[in-house]
Amino acid sequence: MKVDEFMTTRIESIEADRSVYDAIEKMVDRRIRSLLVVFSGKDKDHGVITARDVVFKVLSKKSDPKTVKVASIASKPIVCIDRTMTIHDAASLMVKSVIARVFVCDEGKIVGVLSLLDVMTASLILRARGNYVA
Amino acid sequence: MLLKKILSYGKQEDQVLENVKKHLQLLHLAFESFYSGIRKDDSSTMREVIDLEREGDSVRREIISTIYAGAFLPYLRPDLCRFVEALDRVFDSLEDTALNYPDVVLPEQIREECVRVASMNTNMCEMLAISFDAMVSGEDLREKALAIRIYEKKIDDIKFNILKEMRTTPVENFWQGRTLAEFVSDLTTISDMLEDASDYLQIINISMR
Repeated sequence: MKVDEFMTTRIESIEADRSVYDAIEKMVDRRIRSLLVVFSGKDKDHGVITARDVVFKVLSKKSDPKTVKVASIASKPIVCIDRTMTIHDAASLMVKSVIARVFVCDEGKIVGVLSLLDVMTASLILRARGNYVA
Repeated sequence: MLLKKILSYGKQEDQVLENVKKHLQLLHLAFESFYSGIRKDDSSTMREVIDLEREGDSVRREIISTIYAGAFLPYLRPDLCRFVEALDRVFDSLEDTALNYPDVVLPEQIREECVRVASMNTNMCEMLAISFDAMVSGEDLREKALAIRIYEKKIDDIKFNILKEMRTTPVENFWQGRTLAEFVSDLTTISDMLEDASDYLQIINISMR
């Protein structure tokens, strides 16, 4: 099973110079746990900000999310994989890199995101089909 | 084979089971034709769905008449018929969607998502056939039913994305917009019907315990 079957194609993004408060607002509104961070300038320059980053790097330190910029806590660079990669290989990469999501790219363009939940559901389907590889 | 052990198994029951398998195979073939048609943007492949639907219809009639001629214990007959009728509703809806396709002007920004839905519908149908085989063999359907629910949820998410995109897509006239809206609605509703069919399988499985 290839990753493009299970990736999420709707990717929410935020500009790097926006505040963490803006990022929180967007994540809460869209009920998502991460946002793609777009840096101005170079096209390929992307990062990612997650709910974990917000809690660990801002809220737990009692910093004001309205004054902290997204750029200062975003993780960079993002990990990109090919859309034809198997779910199993993508899962191995996530384990190796200790990350909860990877971005799916096609000819340099981000076309989707694959999260741990996507890997989990894809594995359940493989298991139900009878060709599950643990 | 649990179903065969529990029921007063005979020629008629065998015939019903074989025909349901055939019905599921035809449905899967129809989904594959539809997927191939939309992926290649080829309306002629879509027409295969119409022929397969007709063939499926005659198999369905045979199944229902064999059941009411006395196949299986009476308490199982209504649920078996409901399952077969649920498959028929899927077939009808797929046929309508295929018939609609040549008139649809599919915008590029939603084409890929529509192809993904068609692919997932095909996989869901395959999973339904696997579930049916598992039920006949007396296996637990829990994992298969979960896989079907996962597909359905995934298609629901894609449907939301498509609808959001469609709201900002310009159309030339009322009919172009209406045809597109109907096509997307039909395409994304098929998964609900497949899920219903899976639920009937679960009911049959539970009632045999």
